[in-house]
Amino acid sequence: MERRLSDAVPFVRSWPAWILVGLVLVLLYLPLLPPLVQSVEGGEAGQFTLTWYSELFTTPLIAQALRTTVAIALIVGAVTPVLGLLAALSIRELGRPRLILLSMLLPLFIPGVSMGLASAFLFRILGIPPSLLTILIVQILWALPFATLIILTVMAGFDPAYLEAAYVAGAGKWQAFRDIELPLIAPGIFGATSFSLIISINETVRTSVVQGAWNTIPTYVWSTYKQVGLSPVLYALMSVVILATAVLAAAYLSLGFLKRR
Amino acid sequence: MNPRKRDWRRAGRGGLLSLPFLFVAVFLVVPLALTIVISFWERVGLKFRPALSLTAYIAIIEGARLDVLLRTFVVSVEATVLSLLISYPIAYFLARKASPSSARAVLLLFTIPFLINYIIRNVAWTGLLGRNGTINSTLIALGLRDAPIDWLLYSDFAVLVGLVSSYMPFMIFPLVLSIGAIDRQYLEASALLGASPLSTFLRITLPLSLPGIFAAIIFGFVGCFGESAVPIIMGGVGYELVGNTITSSMDVLNYPLAAALSSLVVVLMLILMIGWYLIFDMRAFLGKILEWRGA
Repeated sequence: MERRLSDAVPFVRSWPAWILVGLVLVLLYLPLLPPLVQSVEGGEAGQFTLTWYSELFTTPLIAQALRTTVAIALIVGAVTPVLGLLAALSIRELGRPRLILLSMLLPLFIPGVSMGLASAFLFRILGIPPSLLTILIVQILWALPFATLIILTVMAGFDPAYLEAAYVAGAGKWQAFRDIELPLIAPGIFGATSFSLIISINETVRTSVVQGAWNTIPTYVWSTYKQVGLSPVLYALMSVVILATAVLAAAYLSLGFLKRR
Repeated sequence: MNPRKRDWRRAGRGGLLSLPFLFVAVFLVVPLALTIVISFWERVGLKFRPALSLTAYIAIIEGARLDVLLRTFVVSVEATVLSLLISYPIAYFLARKASPSSARAVLLLFTIPFLINYIIRNVAWTGLLGRNGTINSTLIALGLRDAPIDWLLYSDFAVLVGLVSSYMPFMIFPLVLSIGAIDRQYLEASALLGASPLSTFLRITLPLSLPGIFAAIIFGFVGCFGESAVPIIMGGVGYELVGNTITSSMDVLNYPLAAALSSLVVVLMLILMIGWYLIFDMRAFLGKILEWRGA
């Protein structure tokens, strides 16, 4: 009987499915290799060099973009998880959870250009010049759905009985949240932080519309690519973004493993 | 605690909790409405001023931009269907057969390339697909071809590769959520009543995963429809879709036209999203996230 019931899940044999998953993943990851290879290639193919990477720090425009990217990423990584936590709490506490969740997810469904253009209009009408502030607002908006979803998912695994117990023991709402719930959903907040950092260092289309004179690494890559095409230095910059993303994703993954232990 | 202090506290708490909602409202909903308003404004020289003019929309309907709109529609439908054909089996497998921990790991593997700057990924594809790219040089080196294949890059094919690889990875998520939310007892009942696996799939799993399918379609289709970088990188010079027509209108400071094109995309998205909200119960697939035990 037991066997028949599990057979009720139709169609799926494991190995062809794993082959499909593997194949699609290979196709998704394959394009990440050429920039990594070409960024360390010297004049002739196969020759190893780090010249292009040293140029990142000696070219003033790129060094400036690197600093801007890091500064913005740190702020986005600090602010977005807090907003995401508030959003997750507001979905639970304020009533009308569907409407609030939907509006939190809205930025996911708006194409990048439309989002950039729309906020550029708002900033122009409000008289806010293109600056770090405008970049921050656009990036936080884009990272917020991811942060909210990650925190919500972790919160869904939290048993409210703990809060009840805290209330019975005489704790106020705030104290119960701070001492009981917050430590338990901390992995979600760390997850939201790493995702916000990843999103910030990768965002291009929205940022390039509102950045004015401030280049980030991805917008520098994009505008240089459009104007003069590819170069080894550009490959080095792409590799920096890819590697930084990989490190942050690995940090997120290892947090997940720590949590389960 | 005296009542007044408690009132203040409650108001403060409500204010804090509505902060994210206000943030999205002020910096996204208002700007999108503003875009629609500006699409009716007049362009005067290099500036634009309030008016009630249809110039921008007439400029879209007349001339080559209608073709752009049509092509964008066709390409987006193709890319969305292709993405769905790839992502549904994967999502089905992850939700039904894979162990939860391996499903989580695979989902993360799909998230990372989605988050890595897709401009970088698309630019990297050009190195693989170009006339002198890796694929062509490998084919020639192996003696399988005498001359490079031309249509791999700067073609509809290349644009489809770019769009599918940019948006497909994320379409898996709503699909996994909705397939995973289907009660296994339905499947077991169907099997016990003698239905074949195929009819169980067609009559139970497929209809019940529709909220996820529809959400994936909205995400993929609207994303492709408004995509501005892929056509430039993969389509090459002169390949225009709505997205890069918006950026090129911005480059020539024709903001009402950019606003009108952008409004078309956004209104299309809103119609699909409101339809989704009205037809499907969000709890059908976000239930796990939205419900708190005992709450």
